[in-house]
Amino acid sequence: LGDNARGSAGKATSSPAENYLLARRRTLQVVVSALLTESGFESAEKAAVETLTEMLQSYITEIGRCAKAYCEHTARSVPTLSDTVVTLIEMGFNVDTLPIYAKRSQRMVITAPPVTNAPVTPKALSAGQKRTHPAHIPSHFPEFPDPHTYIKTPTFREPVSDYQVVREKAATQRRDVERALTRFIAKTGETQSLFKDDITTFPLIAARPSTIPYLSALLPSELELQALEETDSSEQDDQTDGENTAGNAITDDPGADKENSMLPPSGVVPSTKASEDNVIDNPYLRPVKKPKVRRKK
Amino acid sequence: MSNEDLYHKVVGYVELTIFPTVVNLNRIKLNSKQCRIYRVRVNDLEAPFLYNDPTLEVCHHESKQRNLNYFSSAYTAAVSAVDPDAGHGELVIKVPSELWKQGDDLKVLKVYIEFSLDQPKGGLHFVVPDVEGSMAERGAHVFGSCDEKMKIFSCHRFWFPCVDSYSELCTWKLEFTVDASMVAVSCGDLVETIYTHDMRKKTFHYILPIPTAAPNISLAVGPFEILVDPYMHEVTHFCLPQLLPLLKHSMSFLHEIFEFYEEILTCRYPYSCFKTVFVDEAYVQVSSYASMSIFSTNLLHSAMIIDQTPQTRRCLAQALAQQFFGCFISRMSWADEWVLKGISGYIYGLYLKKTFGVNEYRHWIKQELDKIVEYELKMGGVLLHPTFSGGKEKDNPTPHLHFSIKHPHTLSWEYYKMFQCKAHLVMRLIENRISMEFMLQVFNKLLSLASTASSQKYQSHMWSQMLLSTHAFLKSISNVSGKDIGPLIKQWVDQSGVVKFFGSFAFNRKRNVLELEIRQDYTSSGTQKYVGPIKVTVQELDGSFNHMLQIEENSLKHDIPCHSKSRRNKKKKIPLMNGEEVDMDLSAMDADSPLLWIRIDPDMSILRKVEFEQADFMWQYQLRYERDVVAQEEAISALEKFPTPASRLALTDILEQEQCFYKVRMQACFCLAKIANAMVSTWQGPPAMKSLFTRMFCCKSCPNIVKTNNFINFQSYFLQKTMPVAMALLRDVQNLCPKDVLNFILDLIKYNDNRKNKFSDNYYRADLIEALTNSLTPAISINNEVRTVDNLNADVRLILEEITRFLNMEKLLPSFRNTITVSCLRAIRQLQKNGHIPSDPSLFKSYAQYGHFVDVRIAALEALVDYTRVERSSGELQWLLSMVQNDPVHYVRHKILGLLCKNPPFTKTTDSALCNEALVDQLWKFMNSGASHDWRLRCDAVNLYYMLFGLTRPSCLPLPELGLVLNLKEKKAVLNPTIKPELGVGAVMDTPASIGIHGFNTMEDEDIDMETVHDSQAFIHHHLNLLERPSTPGKHTHTHTHTHTHTHYIHVLKTLLIQFSAILFIWHQITTTVISMYGPYEQALGNSGKEKLPFNRKKPAKPASGRGTHLPQLVGGEGD
Repeated sequence: LGDNARGSAGKATSSPAENYLLARRRTLQVVVSALLTESGFESAEKAAVETLTEMLQSYITEIGRCAKAYCEHTARSVPTLSDTVVTLIEMGFNVDTLPIYAKRSQRMVITAPPVTNAPVTPKALSAGQKRTHPAHIPSHFPEFPDPHTYIKTPTFREPVSDYQVVREKAATQRRDVERALTRFIAKTGETQSLFKDDITTFPLIAARPSTIPYLSALLPSELELQALEETDSSEQDDQTDGENTAGNAITDDPGADKENSMLPPSGVVPSTKASEDNVIDNPYLRPVKKPKVRRKK
Repeated sequence: MSNEDLYHKVVGYVELTIFPTVVNLNRIKLNSKQCRIYRVRVNDLEAPFLYNDPTLEVCHHESKQRNLNYFSSAYTAAVSAVDPDAGHGELVIKVPSELWKQGDDLKVLKVYIEFSLDQPKGGLHFVVPDVEGSMAERGAHVFGSCDEKMKIFSCHRFWFPCVDSYSELCTWKLEFTVDASMVAVSCGDLVETIYTHDMRKKTFHYILPIPTAAPNISLAVGPFEILVDPYMHEVTHFCLPQLLPLLKHSMSFLHEIFEFYEEILTCRYPYSCFKTVFVDEAYVQVSSYASMSIFSTNLLHSAMIIDQTPQTRRCLAQALAQQFFGCFISRMSWADEWVLKGISGYIYGLYLKKTFGVNEYRHWIKQELDKIVEYELKMGGVLLHPTFSGGKEKDNPTPHLHFSIKHPHTLSWEYYKMFQCKAHLVMRLIENRISMEFMLQVFNKLLSLASTASSQKYQSHMWSQMLLSTHAFLKSISNVSGKDIGPLIKQWVDQSGVVKFFGSFAFNRKRNVLELEIRQDYTSSGTQKYVGPIKVTVQELDGSFNHMLQIEENSLKHDIPCHSKSRRNKKKKIPLMNGEEVDMDLSAMDADSPLLWIRIDPDMSILRKVEFEQADFMWQYQLRYERDVVAQEEAISALEKFPTPASRLALTDILEQEQCFYKVRMQACFCLAKIANAMVSTWQGPPAMKSLFTRMFCCKSCPNIVKTNNFINFQSYFLQKTMPVAMALLRDVQNLCPKDVLNFILDLIKYNDNRKNKFSDNYYRADLIEALTNSLTPAISINNEVRTVDNLNADVRLILEEITRFLNMEKLLPSFRNTITVSCLRAIRQLQKNGHIPSDPSLFKSYAQYGHFVDVRIAALEALVDYTRVERSSGELQWLLSMVQNDPVHYVRHKILGLLCKNPPFTKTTDSALCNEALVDQLWKFMNSGASHDWRLRCDAVNLYYMLFGLTRPSCLPLPELGLVLNLKEKKAVLNPTIKPELGVGAVMDTPASIGIHGFNTMEDEDIDMETVHDSQAFIHHHLNLLERPSTPGKHTHTHTHTHTHTHYIHVLKTLLIQFSAILFIWHQITTTVISMYGPYEQALGNSGKEKLPFNRKKPAKPASGRGTHLPQLVGGEGD
């Protein structure tokens, strides 16, 4: 284990920030190793140690994040002990056991991590000259932010107006969309293949018989319909409102009430329109007559 | 599941009122098939009846006979045995003896028949989409989606007992009780619709006061949407749910067709109303019945579809023409069928001329002429007006055919189509002879006679004016025109065959005479000799001149003097036939001859094929300058033989000429591709048509990108569709499709953009796929390696990529009539056939299944049939044959057999492992009994059998013991005469003259008839024997004089049918039907209206639904 730690320590790192983080990490690893030894392990797989380190790190990070949140909640900027305690309690840790645990006899002492410089946050890229305060603003006020945060910098490219390119693009785009879509459908459903050995190169969506095949074959798709509507949206007759009339006509018959609800409306029944429009006298639009009450059933 | 049974059941009740014209009427014969007859009563007395259908199983007992000659004669005999025109029928009713001989007063007989129809295989067709749910759910469902629809096709004896003959007229009263969600559409006027007492059903009452024959009666029931024609309120259109918008568009021009026919015939539409019904799974695309027509629902289209529009209009025009001639006026006998088909086809042609223009009309006539010529030369003659003098087999007027043309039921479907085609062409020949004006006068006369007759009360001969015979038609023509068209009729109607001319010429410079030689081939099959006038048009430098030559026995050469001296006057314009004067570049022509081109029979006034020889430049002049589209098309096909730069130029010029008829330009595309291939080594410049297409349809700025689609100009639309298809046929020196062309087509697909287009581009895209298919050439295969994705040719990979994408997109955005799927399936089969991808039928099998759109199924079946032939796969053949037997759609079954005939897995002349005894037995069994419910299917099976095994006993069978005698002289096998005697039944043999042929007027044969009728075997054999016996004088000679025939019918049949009524109860959602025929003569006979009420209350089982009791008033109510 020690070898391992040393090995990684020996690795040269490039930036101070990374160096700093690595050092912390290393300490954590040592802590984990120590705890493992304490618990009686003689050796551990590297991956297991890594995982435990990871867990420990995230546990500590969570304590920190949470404590910070508590402190900020009470309008402070630096967490106090009580923040940490509350956090620990919140995370389900029994705080009372902590002092005893800290003073346990078999604990191992770990050397403090080497002091490394905390990484300096790199300066934000500054663009342009920062504006100085105008005269009416006192100088102790914060400085203006970088100009790029509030100044509009217009950038635009010449739009593609070349006909050929536009067509090319539209065609490619459509083809890509179509291919992606069909492949998706093919992947998620049943397929057929032209090659027995390879079912993925040219997947065909399986043919599925439908109950009423002529509907999809004859009716224009919605896409096409939209286009059509633009051209002639004039005549849309409504032959559908006839049902009610038919229903009303029958409701007079007390015996028929029940069946009435079952009568499916259809174009057969005369539409109100037809009865209003006296010009059209078509036998198929005339109301259905009630049976004559000639004799009892 | 038990519901399922109910769905396909019809229970019916028929009442016939019969006015006997003979004293000894003791037997009534009716046509009825697959009905279960429960009970028959005559005037309230129970009547014994016999039901025997000899066509159920054509050849009984025998198991060894497998030759088609035998089958055909047996089948003809079986059909004859129940032929209503000869007074026969499947159902024989014995009139109770109490009703016999009631003195001289011939009383009206009423025959009541109760019957049911269970799961009918033919006649009635039920379409019940497989929708789940209980009854109530289904009921609730009816509103939105189409749950059930039902319709019917012609063969009437299949669905109710009747006299299934066009010559038996009577008036009708029909009642249909159906579920309240359904509409029952039938012939005649809808008088009223009444709910049944439980309010769950409705009864539709129809009355057809115009005397009509049973085959012209039909019925369609379904949850139809109703559209009253906005222009003519007496016309109503019906379609299946959700299709109403399509119906509106498709029917928006029907009134124009009406107006056109009424105007040219100067006669009003004979019925008081007209109904069009569009149904799914239709038997045929168009079928006309009295006052209604049933169409395939696939004819409906939206305004975006270009290609379907003219086809739908044609179908409507056809249907309407048949309303006048075919329904209102029907045929006297089967031999007169050609007159009605001819007239309706002819007036339909006039409509085409008016609507689509003279070019289209002439193009159509040429097409029809080419079709009939090709068929007759291949299959032997088509005879329009067959005469059967004796019943003898030797007198068969068409010995070259493998079926009998004596009955419509034994005809091959293709033959019948050609028959119709020839009929209207002959009608056009008559028009050429007597002028259109007279022709229309004749039609008008026939119609007005018929409509006078139709409004008459029944009198024995009055209604016969509504039946048209050849004789009456010819008489009417000679009365009106005063011209004798006897020779014309003799040549084309009484004789079969077409004329085959070979022409060549030489120019005699000294005499300035054109020496024309016209030879004929009248010895090969399907030809006949022509003697008579022929028109020859010669285009000379000084103009166009017509010459009438006389074709005589021995004169082959004809001298035609030329008008112009060979080019004296150079700069002069050349006058054409139509008066136009044009400049021509005359440098190509022979300096010594003034002839530009010569045409033989330019008006197509002979049914002929002309092979004419003239120099290539003459064809080129003809193509460029002759204004007749027929001449242009002839020139194009002739130019295929002259692959020269000059031909190329002429074709390219035509392609570019926008005034030129678009179909000619389309044809020029294909010719140009052929020429380019023939001159591949010397071809200069880019691939043929490419620069032309670029100029016409691509962007000016970037010539490799096609313009966004705009199909507003139909001519250029069709050209745009055709050119890539033709271009893909180009081949380079290696016989591969040039890379340029393939990339060009792929670019067309890539850049295709239809967003701004008013019309759908589905046909265009389908054609682009066809172009890809055409570009395929056989794969180079090394050591028969298995085809895998890895060794795919790069070009093929691109093609396959496109096809896959198209086929997949079609699942998400289906195109109109799934045209793209159809093209893709063809392309895939082509890829398989050329060895690019592994040959595999499973994809096609899945597309061939029931539940796909019918066009897709047919395309898949076509591929499967091809696969069967190429791979000789017996598994697939079996699969196809089982589909023929089991598929729910009649059209598909018919089509499979048709496809198998067209592309047979093997023929009689080739050996194949597929040809084995089991297959022979299977097909034989199917012909013999399996297809008894569908005439068309049975004849298709006969065709296939003929195609596979020929007329004689199939070679793969072991020879039976002396079962056959091979007659080497006639090259056919005949029944061994030694086995004949045992076939006949003694009793029948002994009284040949008295058997059924004469029907009811022979009392003495009663016993024999009744006893033997049980045994249809004996029945058939008896008829077989009749066929071979010398004809008995006076027997069955109805073709000589039609008046005579008619009286014969009156004698035999009019006895039968004067009033007819029927009830049909169609179970469940499609429910009860009542049909009743009644005659207005009834009052003339002095019967009270009450008495003739067809339905007495005694009728048990069925609830009496409200039926009209006031028939007499209704009789006159057809005036409006």
